[in-house]
Amino acid sequence: MGSKRGRNEKAVEIGLPADCRMAAQTALLAELLGALDAPATQIDGSAVERVDTAALQLLTLFRREALSRGCAVSWRDASGTLCEAADTLGLVKALDLPAAVPA
Amino acid sequence: MSNAGLAQFQQVFVEESLEGLDTMESSLLALDEGGDGELVHTIFRAAHSIKGGAATFGFPEMASFTHEAESLLDEVRGGKRAIDKPIVELLLRSVDCLRGMFDRAKAGEPLNDAVSDGVRGELAAMMGRAAPAEAGPARRGSDQADGWIIRFQPHAGMLAGGNDPLRLIRELAAMGELAVEADLSRLPSLDKLDPSECHLGWTIELKAAVKREDIAAVFDWVEDECDLAIEPRPSAVVTPAAPAPANITEAATARGSREASPESSSVRVAIDKIDSMINLVGELVITQAMLDTFREEFDPAKLPLLQQGLTQLARHARELQESVMGIRMLPIASVFNRFPRLVRDLSQKLGKQVKLDLHGEQTELDKTVLEKIGDPMVHLVRNAIDHGLEMPDKRRAAGKHETGTLKLDAYHRGGNIVVEVSDDGAGLNREAIVGKAIERGLIRSGEGLSDEAVGELIFQPGFSTAAVTTDLSGRGVGMDVVRRNVSDLGGTVTIRSKPGQGSVFTITLPLTLAIIDGLTAAVGEERYIVPLISIIESVQLKPDSLKTVAGGGELFRFRGEYLPVLRLHELFGCVGAKRAIEDGLIIVVEGDGARVGLFVDGLVGQQQAVVKSLEANYRRVQGVSGATILADGSVALIADIGGLVRLHGQRKAA
Repeated sequence: MGSKRGRNEKAVEIGLPADCRMAAQTALLAELLGALDAPATQIDGSAVERVDTAALQLLTLFRREALSRGCAVSWRDASGTLCEAADTLGLVKALDLPAAVPA
Repeated sequence: MSNAGLAQFQQVFVEESLEGLDTMESSLLALDEGGDGELVHTIFRAAHSIKGGAATFGFPEMASFTHEAESLLDEVRGGKRAIDKPIVELLLRSVDCLRGMFDRAKAGEPLNDAVSDGVRGELAAMMGRAAPAEAGPARRGSDQADGWIIRFQPHAGMLAGGNDPLRLIRELAAMGELAVEADLSRLPSLDKLDPSECHLGWTIELKAAVKREDIAAVFDWVEDECDLAIEPRPSAVVTPAAPAPANITEAATARGSREASPESSSVRVAIDKIDSMINLVGELVITQAMLDTFREEFDPAKLPLLQQGLTQLARHARELQESVMGIRMLPIASVFNRFPRLVRDLSQKLGKQVKLDLHGEQTELDKTVLEKIGDPMVHLVRNAIDHGLEMPDKRRAAGKHETGTLKLDAYHRGGNIVVEVSDDGAGLNREAIVGKAIERGLIRSGEGLSDEAVGELIFQPGFSTAAVTTDLSGRGVGMDVVRRNVSDLGGTVTIRSKPGQGSVFTITLPLTLAIIDGLTAAVGEERYIVPLISIIESVQLKPDSLKTVAGGGELFRFRGEYLPVLRLHELFGCVGAKRAIEDGLIIVVEGDGARVGLFVDGLVGQQQAVVKSLEANYRRVQGVSGATILADGSVALIADIGGLVRLHGQRKAA
């Protein structure tokens, strides 16, 4: 995982909601767009209980775009649900998540 | 999805698709007559829906057939191809093929037949390429492999439709070990992302020996919302040989399960009908609450209020009944709409010019009546074009317009629906009919026969044979069948004809089969309902007015003719009935073209009877069309006059 670049601004931390499905995406997208300017972003996925393809697609895209801008993205934590879903969709690598631990 | 659940949706799909086919057909006909380009879009949309549904509900042959038609339509829609007569003709035949496929799907038969294969080839040929190989084997390839590669590319709108690839891939994971590779190449930039759209794609390797159809079943619901390819793993094909028989068995099994599911029909109800019913139920509840106040204590001074309440209750109950009956009422347009095509095809075949005039398409009819009136009407329309309307040169010679007019009209009259099929053709050929009737021994001579009586002749069973259609220039093709079908619905059919001016067939039908107006007759301890529509009159006979004929039959004289007496107590074995003819009453009834006198003890009164099916609750009984519950809670049987007449005929013959 990339480390913080030590710019002037502080790293942003984004917490994912428990129900991290389509309905939550618009708000999350706005938050992530804001985070693109930060030197580093830490995502907390520990609370995620429900997640869908739309959410994982958004996170994948964010990570790809942030990295291309030279910003770091790291996970503070990720729930089993989140990891399992990313594994199912073949996005573990793209998201740099730990491989799913069977529930 | 369980089989039962899927079957339920399948039925809706079939109903909607048949409606879609009707739309396609009527739009094609309109297009043929120079309609605007918007019609092409309508036709395309209908075809597209059928294709999508067919794929979802497991009719790949139908989906691939419709796909061909859709491709052709797409070219027309896109302006790549101009619509012309051959295209309309071909698309109309495609509609027929699809209808045939739906029929075969219902019957559990293979969907494709020689005709559909032919039309499919023509569609492909028109698109300038060879017909693709049959969808099943071609798309399916081998159906057995010990591993599969699934390429799954959802369309952007799939997530918004409530279908989550995560769930689908999880289902696949339940089948065996998966290696999932996500395709991120189509992801837009973050600021351009609509989170509800899907831009991911997947290549999934399933390392398990499952059937292809099991994998396809996972994607059943999204087949229209994604690009999907299921291929055996290159190294994993077990037996690529003989895929076709495997498909057939599989398809047959699938159909078998469809066939086993019970078939029920449904009816779509306009929301305003439901609203009005809810409103009436509300009124009923209010009235009931008002009447409830009398339960506690009854003050005689409040009698007028009670009477008023009861009147209201009766009115609301009646209105509610009418309103509930109204649910079964559908516009006759669904029957009328099949005729433009029939008239077009038939007139082209016969070289006649026919203009079809439709009136009263919005007239509503009971769903059951509607379903059964189609065939007799087709018969009448065919006859009108075949035998009624003349060839253009003959019409010109008679001083008429070359184009004949065939008019279908439906309207309410009294408590009945009247459907008229009229033409401005040559009318009945009196001489030919009388000649044929004499030859067949139906009459001795035509002298003194009124036009009406001559018209009646064509409804005689002995009159219509295959030979008549060619020998006779008048009408007479299976008219007895038409009459029987109509009378089975509790209706009548009559003809008026004027030489050189045309004929009018009038079908009179009851509004509904669920309620009949009848006279309640007493026979011993029993009560029978005699439908009002068949009653001519009731008479009391003197002892000496009854003539006994050889074989035990009894006759009485009624308006110049002798009619047989049917003693209901004998027919139905009632105890305690009156036996002397002067003690009881004769109800003169008409059914199946014959008049008879029903001997009963007496008449109790007239009433509307709600018909309960005897067949559904017990079994079919000859001479009885159903049962009803009387006010005192007892059961009364409803006499089937046509059946009684036939029963009498059988006894006479025995």
